[in-house]
Amino acid sequence: MTVENKYLLEIKNLAVTYDHVHPPVKAVDGVSLQLRKNECLGIIGESGCGKSSLALGITGLIKGDEGTVTGEIFYKGKNLVGLPESKLKAYRWREIALVFQNSLEVLNPVLKIREQVGEPLKTHYNLSPAEIDQRVVKLLEMVGLDPHWRHHYPHQLSGGMRQRVLVAMALSCDPQLLIVDEPTTALDPLSKNEILRLLQSLQKKLGFTMLLISHDLGVIKKLTSRVMTMYCGRIVEAGLTSEVLRNPMHCYTRGLLNSSPNLFKYKDLWGIAGEPANAAAPNGGCAFYARCCQNGESCSTSRPLLKYVGLERMVACHKGGIETFLRAEGIKKTYRLKNMNVEAVKEACLEIKSGEVIALVGESGSGKSTLAHILVGVLKADAGQIFFKNKKVKGRWATKMLGGMQIIFQDPFSATSDRLRVREVVREPLDIIRWGGKKEREAEVNRVLQMVQLPVDADFLNRYCQALSGGQRQRVAIARSLITRPKLLIADEVTSMLDPSTQANLLRELKGLQNRNGFAMLYITHDLHLARKVADKVYVMYQGDIVEEGVSFEIFEKPAHFYTKQLLQESFRDLI
Amino acid sequence: MGGNAVGQPHRLRFLEYGLTILIVITLNFLLPRVIPGDPFLVISSQSAAEEEIVLTAEQREFFFDYYGLDKSIGEQYVAYLGGLLRGNLGFSLYYKEPVSRIIMRRLGWTAFMVVSSLVLSTIIGSVLGCISAWHRDKWPDKFLFFKFIVLAEIPVFLLGLIILFVFAAGLGLFPLAGAVTHFARYKNCWEKIFDVLHHACLPVLVLTISRMGGMYLLSRNSMTTVLKKDYLRTARAKGLPERRVLYRHALRNALLPIVTRVFLSLGTLIGGAILVENVFAYPGLGLLMREAVRLHDYHLIQGIFLVVTLLVLLANFFADLVYAKLDPRVNQTNMQGG
Repeated sequence: MTVENKYLLEIKNLAVTYDHVHPPVKAVDGVSLQLRKNECLGIIGESGCGKSSLALGITGLIKGDEGTVTGEIFYKGKNLVGLPESKLKAYRWREIALVFQNSLEVLNPVLKIREQVGEPLKTHYNLSPAEIDQRVVKLLEMVGLDPHWRHHYPHQLSGGMRQRVLVAMALSCDPQLLIVDEPTTALDPLSKNEILRLLQSLQKKLGFTMLLISHDLGVIKKLTSRVMTMYCGRIVEAGLTSEVLRNPMHCYTRGLLNSSPNLFKYKDLWGIAGEPANAAAPNGGCAFYARCCQNGESCSTSRPLLKYVGLERMVACHKGGIETFLRAEGIKKTYRLKNMNVEAVKEACLEIKSGEVIALVGESGSGKSTLAHILVGVLKADAGQIFFKNKKVKGRWATKMLGGMQIIFQDPFSATSDRLRVREVVREPLDIIRWGGKKEREAEVNRVLQMVQLPVDADFLNRYCQALSGGQRQRVAIARSLITRPKLLIADEVTSMLDPSTQANLLRELKGLQNRNGFAMLYITHDLHLARKVADKVYVMYQGDIVEEGVSFEIFEKPAHFYTKQLLQESFRDLI
Repeated sequence: MGGNAVGQPHRLRFLEYGLTILIVITLNFLLPRVIPGDPFLVISSQSAAEEEIVLTAEQREFFFDYYGLDKSIGEQYVAYLGGLLRGNLGFSLYYKEPVSRIIMRRLGWTAFMVVSSLVLSTIIGSVLGCISAWHRDKWPDKFLFFKFIVLAEIPVFLLGLIILFVFAAGLGLFPLAGAVTHFARYKNCWEKIFDVLHHACLPVLVLTISRMGGMYLLSRNSMTTVLKKDYLRTARAKGLPERRVLYRHALRNALLPIVTRVFLSLGTLIGGAILVENVFAYPGLGLLMREAVRLHDYHLIQGIFLVVTLLVLLANFFADLVYAKLDPRVNQTNMQGG
């Protein structure tokens, strides 16, 4: 059979339904995956997304009185679904073994470790007690556990030791496929790392194929080469682990990344809003619809299929994954002074996706502000193209709409007119696009002023901007830009004039918008402390060039360009 | 394992038992003395119908003095404790015989009945309970469950009366009362054994049936719980034969509460035995106790109470021992406690 050579395990349209509860729960819903020999595939997702049910489904451990399994599971070319228990027994442990999620209950409390590790050997190979004991000693040594522990009971072992026992037990019959379920939950960092190293080295040594289920992205990053994101029993994203973690394309995957402290060490944690939906989505729409930050109309009515969006990359999303808000290509700008040309921006390319905060960092005069002004159309570029939501930006349409693009300029004194009142300055963008009636506009003014923590009484609203302090004026400028509810905000050093508390509140407010509505921001700053705290991605600009770009956890951990290194070194040398 | 870590809780255990026994003895001493009336109101009358001999004031005084009942409670208590230490349970006021000798004579019958019904009810109840759990919600389970729920709810004396009427009085298959045929001469020991068993059949049956329902429900419940445990899924995942999964992995765990229950139920079982003995006029401790209470025979009452409580405590002690053997986790808790 050719299938046999290609894949060790091939799952087609697997579904696990627990139909003995009301209403029935579809824990796994049409999952297909392939696993080559010696490969390690990771499955990530929140608790209750169906990861463990998938593992049980593969091994046929879902009993008839619990639920039903449909679809096809080809192991070495043979379909396991529907095989009677007696036939499945031959596959269990000898071919496919499980490292169960660690808990006290997963090992039998009244039987000694020796018996529990050794009994499959008796069943599958009919070894003598002495041979079994020898083998158990070897297995325990292999997982780094003193063999004398075989005479003890599970409750006498620590969590880390029990995890080793579970690994030893799973490897007792030299399985070809090892399914590992949450190998590191509830372990301290030391034992966690040891278990990870152990799994890594054992896989190298014994050459088993591994299906790793975990919600710990650090584990996934370390052990797997490919990864799948599972939500409500469906695969929503699949790809190479390094690619997916660096550049998630499904909002759910990105949400998982943003919730993982071990990836973003300095950034704030943001969980995914809302509860996982019931797998049986009522009208057959996308299961993630309710929690998605870019949900549209089509998302609630039809279910997105897992489609290729790139090489080795699949996403189940009607919008083809996370939307790109802004794409700039080959932006060039040269200022002509009296007798010299200053190349402020040289061939800059930039991409901002929905729900991203991108920090554009660099020293003063590196061309950051020029680039920002070009992006929103305040300055004309000498060359290059800009697309907003995949439409070419010509004229000002992208800034003249609700949910478009807005900029906050660095200098609030020139951005807001001295001779206008606060209410007029803030309301102006709505006046320009003739949005709503007077009352509605006033209400919006109040809303955004509250957002930036400014008073909304008549006295303040009627004050002239001239009479405001620098910080207040900056906040008025921010409020003005937020009034059209932009999807993309380009903020040029906006918080430098604010006191730390106002800055913190404002940034949290914006981050909240980001997580709820997929609001994106290009945050131009030279304050790297702040950038590290808020940014998902970083662009480093130096003398008009974007010299380095990448995910913030990589840029801040391992900068590649000499200028970035220097910048980081200078910024983080002392805590000032 | 350090000697201290283990020794400490064990010593504590023994202290617990010692204290319990002392409290029991004290209560035992006080209880008969709070029953209204005194032993010399009724004396030496063979039956209630017979006219009771009423003692004169002098005679009563003489008896009070003779049995030490005129002393203060404290002195009586010390004398009682002293007697117990010498193995002296006192002298029956009614039977005019040492209490210990009377109890020893009767204890055997009760023990025989209680132990045999305990064994029977445990085996039948737990085997059926396990079968029920393995076939949960299928017909064997539904059938058994209904039957045992009904059985468990019938009061033991009522059950005894019904069985007595039907099998002994009605069908005449079994003797009506007693433990042996009076004045019988046996040709050989087999005949004697048969006679004893014949008499014991109905009381043991009643007691067994009354305990079986509880045992069945407990073991069904216990097995059902165990069957849902993660370690059973682990066992199945390993591809072990069904036999091994059920008997080695499931039963071992399901037995734990059953074993405890067996020993702990001894107390209630003796309570049940008292009722059953009265129904069948079976000459065990239960019947003796009723007589003793009726006759205000302080020493006898105290003796019976004491022996029964000590037996229950002993059963408790055995439960602890056996449980520790079966469940390795028990030692661990002790270690942590110490």
